[in-house]
Amino acid sequence: MAASLMRFVRGGLGRSFSLANRSSCLVQQQARLESTESKPTVRPKDAVSHNQLAAFGEYVAEMMPKYIQQVQVTCYNELEVMIHPDGVIPVLTFLRDHTNAQFRNMIDLTAVDIPTRQNRFEIVYNLLSLRFNSRIRIKTYTDELTPVDSAVTVHKAANWYEREVWDMFGVFFANHPDLRRILTDYGFEGHPFRKDFPLSGYVEVRYDDEVKRVVAEPVELTQEFRKFDLSTPWEVFPAYREPKDAAPKLEAGDKAPEKK
Amino acid sequence: MAGLLKKTTGLVGLAVASNPHERLRVLYSKILASVQVMPQDAAYRKYTEQLISERYNLVKTEPDVEKLEQKINCGQIEEVIFQAECELALSRKMVEWKPWEPLVEEPPPNQWKWPI
Repeated sequence: MAASLMRFVRGGLGRSFSLANRSSCLVQQQARLESTESKPTVRPKDAVSHNQLAAFGEYVAEMMPKYIQQVQVTCYNELEVMIHPDGVIPVLTFLRDHTNAQFRNMIDLTAVDIPTRQNRFEIVYNLLSLRFNSRIRIKTYTDELTPVDSAVTVHKAANWYEREVWDMFGVFFANHPDLRRILTDYGFEGHPFRKDFPLSGYVEVRYDDEVKRVVAEPVELTQEFRKFDLSTPWEVFPAYREPKDAAPKLEAGDKAPEKK
Repeated sequence: MAGLLKKTTGLVGLAVASNPHERLRVLYSKILASVQVMPQDAAYRKYTEQLISERYNLVKTEPDVEKLEQKINCGQIEEVIFQAECELALSRKMVEWKPWEPLVEEPPPNQWKWPI
């Protein structure tokens, strides 16, 4: 009896809540109709932090012109520094130890595979400075055979990230203390995140009743491989149309950079 | 003096410095000495000298630790000491790397072009 009463009460409460919700919805709709939309839904530009990042990017590029090829600030206000692969350790150490940078935390290290390029792998380092509450992204490049210097001596966090990149992309890191596979199964062959690795893989495993163990066999697909034309007729990156003049590129200038 | 008033920095692994002024003076003069090896127009030398000598002057002129922390405005004095140690290690490595030289190699064409 008490339970049914409770249920009733709760049902009643819920009903009144839903009523209240509906009415508040109505109020919101009315408000939306009344307010004339003055601002389009475009991301507001934050000129202050953009300029600050650009100034810091110039500062870094001026300090290490030997390794830094290009510096850019993306539309989402992220500072990106493109470096030569020889400069991985100098640039990371500089950003960690310099008093005006202090990027002491490695947040992420990953790779991007773009097979059409001469150096198909892009290695990306994301760093965080707790002191100045800012982030920076370092990018470098390599191909299948050229080793990149390991960042473990600079950031301990790079250890497993580099193992992951080695496992998934097959990028070799020189002087890594323990470069093994980390994510794939025992005896796995190949690097699954490469663009030329098939989605279905090369082998499949199943439990075999006769030999009483898991066996690996080459993948057999019921359907023949079909090449679909997936290119869309629409413009995919309208924000990245080829600019008429040269892309905005920050180089080491003689303009005095602001201090962070 | 600071050790009497201050029990902890509140940061793991960072002990309270007993004589921060002396320590900073030593570190800053070492940094300035190691930077002298670099060429005059190296940007790293220019900016580091400017920054470090600014802090060095503050350390020389301000005897009170708390006011010094406020003037430097980069955390507690122990953190400032840690930053100076890092900068010293970095400046010694920089002499070997010589990052003020011109770019080692231009990127291959379209390396940084996105979308492809």
